[in-house]
Amino acid sequence: MNRLTSARRWLAAIRTATGGVRRHKLQAVVIGAVLLIATASATLGFALLSASNAPFQHAFTAQRGAHAAVGVDAAKASPAQLAATTHLPGVTAAAGPFGTDTVATALGGQLFGQLTLSGRANPGGPVDDLVLSAGHWASGPGQLVLDGQSAPPGSGGPVLGATVTVTSLRGQPKLTIVGFANSVTSTADGWVTPSEITQLQATAPAANGQGTRHAQVPGAQASTQMLYRFTKAASFSQVRADVATVSRALPSGAVTGTVSWLSAANESTGNGSIMEPFVVAFALIGLIMAVLIVGNVVSGAVVASYQRIGVLKSLGLTPGQVVVAYLGRVGWPALAGALFGVVAGNLLALPVLNDSAGAYGVGRQSVPWWASVAAPLGMLALTGLAAAGPAIRAGRLSAVQAIAAGRAPRAGRGYAAHRLAARLRLPRPLGLGLAAPFARPARTLVGLAAICFGATAVIFAVGLSSSLGRAEQAQNHSASAPVVMQQNVNGPQQQFPSAAQDAAMVAVLRAQPGTAHYVAEYDNQVKVTGLAGNVFARVYGGDAAWIGFGQIAGHWPDGPGQIDVNTAFLTQSGLAIGSPVTVNTGTAQVTARIAGEVFDPGGHPDLFGSAGTLPGMATTENLSQYYVGLKPGTTASAYREAVNRALGTGNAWQAYPPQGGNFYSIASELIGLLSLMVAVAAGLGVLNTVLMTTRDRVHDLGVYKALGMRPRQLLVMVLGWVAGPAVIAGAIAAPAAVALNSATVRAMAGTAHTAIPASFTAVFPPSRLALLALAALVIAVAGAFLPASWAARARPATALRTE
Amino acid sequence: MRERGRFGAEMTMSGEVIRLDGVTKNYQAGGPPALDNVHLRVTAGDVLAVMGPSGSGKSTLLNLVAGLDRPTAGQVAIAGRRIDKLSETALARFRARHVGIIFQFFNLLDDLTVEDNVLLPAQLAGASRRQARARADELLERMGITQYRNAYPARMSGGQRQRVAIARALVNSPELLLADEPTGALDTATGQQIAGLLRELNADGQTLVLVTHDRSLAQRFAARTVELVDGQLMSDTAAGVPA
Ligand SMILES: Nc1ncnc2c1ncn2[C@@H]1O[C@H](COP(=O)(O)OP(=O)(O)O)[C@@H](O)[C@H]1O
Ligand SMILES: [Mg+2]
Repeated sequence: MNRLTSARRWLAAIRTATGGVRRHKLQAVVIGAVLLIATASATLGFALLSASNAPFQHAFTAQRGAHAAVGVDAAKASPAQLAATTHLPGVTAAAGPFGTDTVATALGGQLFGQLTLSGRANPGGPVDDLVLSAGHWASGPGQLVLDGQSAPPGSGGPVLGATVTVTSLRGQPKLTIVGFANSVTSTADGWVTPSEITQLQATAPAANGQGTRHAQVPGAQASTQMLYRFTKAASFSQVRADVATVSRALPSGAVTGTVSWLSAANESTGNGSIMEPFVVAFALIGLIMAVLIVGNVVSGAVVASYQRIGVLKSLGLTPGQVVVAYLGRVGWPALAGALFGVVAGNLLALPVLNDSAGAYGVGRQSVPWWASVAAPLGMLALTGLAAAGPAIRAGRLSAVQAIAAGRAPRAGRGYAAHRLAARLRLPRPLGLGLAAPFARPARTLVGLAAICFGATAVIFAVGLSSSLGRAEQAQNHSASAPVVMQQNVNGPQQQFPSAAQDAAMVAVLRAQPGTAHYVAEYDNQVKVTGLAGNVFARVYGGDAAWIGFGQIAGHWPDGPGQIDVNTAFLTQSGLAIGSPVTVNTGTAQVTARIAGEVFDPGGHPDLFGSAGTLPGMATTENLSQYYVGLKPGTTASAYREAVNRALGTGNAWQAYPPQGGNFYSIASELIGLLSLMVAVAAGLGVLNTVLMTTRDRVHDLGVYKALGMRPRQLLVMVLGWVAGPAVIAGAIAAPAAVALNSATVRAMAGTAHTAIPASFTAVFPPSRLALLALAALVIAVAGAFLPASWAARARPATALRTE
Repeated sequence: MRERGRFGAEMTMSGEVIRLDGVTKNYQAGGPPALDNVHLRVTAGDVLAVMGPSGSGKSTLLNLVAGLDRPTAGQVAIAGRRIDKLSETALARFRARHVGIIFQFFNLLDDLTVEDNVLLPAQLAGASRRQARARADELLERMGITQYRNAYPARMSGGQRQRVAIARALVNSPELLLADEPTGALDTATGQQIAGLLRELNADGQTLVLVTHDRSLAQRFAARTVELVDGQLMSDTAAGVPA
């Protein structure tokens, strides 16, 4: 009790002694704002870090996911031979054989696509322990458990009790959905009882495969599936080697395909984790700035009140009390800033995480609780450390030293700079301003660093936006093909536009004076020898180079027998540019040569080619859209309207604008917001530095005024204090931002399993970079302007009286 | 704008360099005024000594005359021109051209050399480089500190520093030189030297207002002495004789 009152008493004494927080409202606001910004970006960064791959990894461990799902031709390998593979070296667990069949289906009269069904007696097992999310397991004939979540009723998607018709088999057998289950690596699209699968395998195909959008994959029938876990399965090549071991133990040709768990892992990596590199970059910048600015505020406060400290110490204040007093000065604003920062970080994280949640197939994502704790605590701890240095220094100072040190900067510093500035033919106020920072090198360095970080963030943000813009371009081609012709969402409810409708639409395009190019794109899954699973093929009806692809290496196919592929294709197949590949389009098997690698992010292997190179692809059923390029001067919206008028309402085709990626718009908003926050923090840092300096030099400023310095001259002089550091900061920030941008774009691409064309990072032509480096000057001047104009307006008599 | 014009013509016409009419200065509303309804006139070429106890309003009076602050009420006219309503910019121009100020604690700029200190008001006023240098050389010479031209004020003695301050105050050849306790921080002998310098300047025609509480200093060289008590002008004596 007694101790408490005495503690309270001396705290009160200290508060008066050091001036307290309230007397330094603006500094409190600066500290609070900087902490808010740093904490918000740190919270977001933590949330994205944890969101990246964790859900998949957790699910994979919990469900004992299959490192490889190996398709086996049941006719070539006996059950005994298959059982023997489970004891091979490197195999830690295995399940199967499960009979599989790939069939085309319909649901409620609509195509439901091609499903790979697997016969399993129960959902559990040593590998690929399925999680039943609704209904029950298939226990009798005609029962089907689908992979994934059931769609909400009325949405037209699959619901419990709905009937799936197998259209590719004679008699069109019907299966009733009795349950939904999740396989972490999606080893099958649906499960039936083992006897059901045997029966389906035995059923002859329907007379014509009409209505089948997807290719009939040869060898898909009468196959079985083995699921394995291996000791070493961290990379595609390790999994390939593991499967090769299994393959060698079986008769040749028995293994028909493999699905590596890494494909599923790649696909589970959502947008959130792609954004992670730049969010982390911004969070780091914010963090360093917060530390610098807080340290600067405290040391500035200490320097400004040396005399006061001396007097108080001579009156008996202990060093510990002095330290506490100065820490208290940053305490409240810092705490408030950190708390608001957590809230802001959570708000920022929501749209980003929700956007990526879809990709995981694991439901909603939320900011982990530890991120909301670690970010503010970490920031507060760092702030405390930053403040502790100068506070302890103040505590150690002897009373006499402190009084003697006073508030003046050490004499002798900056003399040479002033001498030089006086000789230069600069306007005198500017010269005085430019030379001034040399008197306080430490403070100048902190201001310089704040400007530098702020400018780096701004330049980086502009560069990253350009880089992402180029990536978006390479994906949606909106600049080169501002119009796409797609199936009319409000058109007749038919499955595909007929060949006649296609021809009529092409005639409309030809008739438009604004049409420069158009090309049809056909999409379907194909099989590529050496790559298990399907490969997504985009095939063009004519010259497509003008659409604008992001060429990473090699070139766009410029002759027959050439295809381009994406990075995932190369990594997963182990092939390189120049390699021959055998592509099975379902109706034909051709050998083509890989001519180039194009930007097409994602863990799924894709290939690009012409209809001539890949016969059987250019069918009405595969036709997905037309890209339309316009002649210069043609307005895309007017063009679209004209085409749609000519087509008439209810036409099977309609002109649309290219759809932008949700990822890119979220990313660019986030980048804009983060860079703005960092720039504001930098500006506040400058404001604070200049404010401290005008306070320190208030007497000198009074003298300048007494000698006839006009308000505008004084403004120029004070802006001159920051101009020099700003120029240096800009010179440092420009190359730093370029390097940061390249590293970040590479890291993002790595997360998206793709390499990038050099053009994506070459977004800083020298003239543009020079212009962007001016951001440093803008931040500095914006930050300095307020205190500078206050100083310019202050009455000289008041300033001169502080002696 | 009126302040743009040169003041010389009006000054010679009236011969009045300072004219205060009912000047009151209140730093805090409701508190006692630092200056209370002061009327004062000073003629060109005069020396006026302002005396009074500490806190009586001497510096406040000087600041108002120098245009460093504005009165709460009343009019301040310097060299025939009202300055109490001028903008900050116009006041700064006025100070640069028409008044020079010397302070008790010199108020030199520590990071500038002696020469750069002296040149500064001329540079701020936009004087030509050559003219400013010539004038600075002349003043350094006159103050006997030419050899310290490239030295820094921090290493100089109080008397030397005050000489630099005087040179700096005179570089723009102001009509009016204001000195606020110029000898207050100096030992007696040095103080007398500085006083001698100021008297010489006056002998050459420089109008001078000298704030001091050294009565002997005031009597020795001021033709006229006013005394402030609690912000009010209590006495106004010419050469020891009540006016
Ligand atoms: N800038 C100011 N703000 C508030 N009060 C002031 C200010 N300057 C002077 N004063 C007050 O006005 C009175 C006169 O002060 P001053 O003119 O400095 O007296 P002197 O120079 O005669 O010692 C004093 O009471 C002083 O405290
Ligand atoms: Mg005084």
